[in-house]
Amino acid sequence: MTPEEKYELFERKISEELSNKEEETLSQIIKEDKAIAEEFRIYKEWSSYLDANLNLEQEQSDLEQNLKKVGDSFFEKKQAKKETKVIKIPSWAYAVAASVAIVLGVYTFTKSDPAYNDFASIPELSITERGSEDEISKKAEASFNSENYEEAEKYLLELLNNDNSNSEYLFYLGITLVEQDKHEKASEIFEKLRQGTSVYKYKAIWFEALNQLKQKNIGRCTELLKSLPQEAEDYQQAQKLLKKL
Amino acid sequence: MGNNKAHADQKYIEALLNNDSIVIKEIYEKFAPKVVGYIKKNSGDESKAQDIIQETLITIYKQAKEKELMLTCPFDAYFFLLCKRKWLNELKKNTTKEVTINEEVVSINDESVQYADETVVFEARNKLFTEVFDQLGKACKELLKATFTIKSMEEVASKLGQSYGYVRKKKSLCIGQLTKMVQSAPKYNKIKNLL
Repeated sequence: MTPEEKYELFERKISEELSNKEEETLSQIIKEDKAIAEEFRIYKEWSSYLDANLNLEQEQSDLEQNLKKVGDSFFEKKQAKKETKVIKIPSWAYAVAASVAIVLGVYTFTKSDPAYNDFASIPELSITERGSEDEISKKAEASFNSENYEEAEKYLLELLNNDNSNSEYLFYLGITLVEQDKHEKASEIFEKLRQGTSVYKYKAIWFEALNQLKQKNIGRCTELLKSLPQEAEDYQQAQKLLKKL
Repeated sequence: MGNNKAHADQKYIEALLNNDSIVIKEIYEKFAPKVVGYIKKNSGDESKAQDIIQETLITIYKQAKEKELMLTCPFDAYFFLLCKRKWLNELKKNTTKEVTINEEVVSINDESVQYADETVVFEARNKLFTEVFDQLGKACKELLKATFTIKSMEEVASKLGQSYGYVRKKKSLCIGQLTKMVQSAPKYNKIKNLL
């Protein structure tokens, strides 16, 4: 067999074009000739490497940019935290602080009904890519993060027009709806996400529970909280809320 | 490896594959502090730590993309081990002065070590392949780029004004050439048994 024939056989094996008889021939050769077996192994590695890497450039550079962005903000935040100055407090202030704490404690203790606002921590929306010209994404992000949920809803709907199964857009749209007390619409969206397989699956259950809490449907809220599995990010919060209900 | 059920932390791998900002933020918040602490204790600073973390995440992403990486152990130890090794390599490369390594005791199970080993081999293989691919002739490079980005060989053939059979043959010869080049690379012997 010439090298040309050998490589073509490898190639056709990988693209599953071999006849039964050729399959047999190839496996025979591989069994008998260690050097060819080794070559075939590397050939396959190359095929898999090229398939991944020649198609990856755009996707990988998107990820790199995003990691840089998230990393920058993480490390900046860390820096900022460290720079907070420690202010010396005169000792009498401790007494005042303690009594304030007691008063607050009594106050929160008597007012123990858990409310939506105690538990809803709204994540930040971050969908624009660096250098992106996408105006709608930018507007959606700006309005959402400045808590202008009516505007954010509009822009997110526009984004969904072009990409109607994007679970990130859907999830944030759900939040804008809860915030505006459009409870039923929000429930529809969270239900859709709950049935899907995206990373927002469990987040959707948690926010739907909060949506029910906001409407004081304690029974439904409890049910949803109990359905949240342990690996869910909001599991601990959910347990806390369950205890208070 | 072991049982085939993915660990809940597989979500971090998925997040890299989907470029999911929320979960990626979580990766930084949960796992970066330990890496930063380690690097700072061992002659590095925060900006070095940021680079090491980013490079490590990209490697994991590549492995997940090509080899469908599935974690059956927690992400924490796996990720920390990878960052740590990368940093130690970096130190070895750049410092002439003696480096003292402040080892800390971290509980690391065998499975994490095994996963980290696989990723390290994957990275070494990728590095070697990238170098070798760069040395390939222009004609082969272009043909391979066309055949792997356009998927349909018929389409590539008609684009190049050649027959399907001809393009497939050329493609197999180019990959054959890469195979030979890798085998004759000195670095290849180091990782050959691990691939």
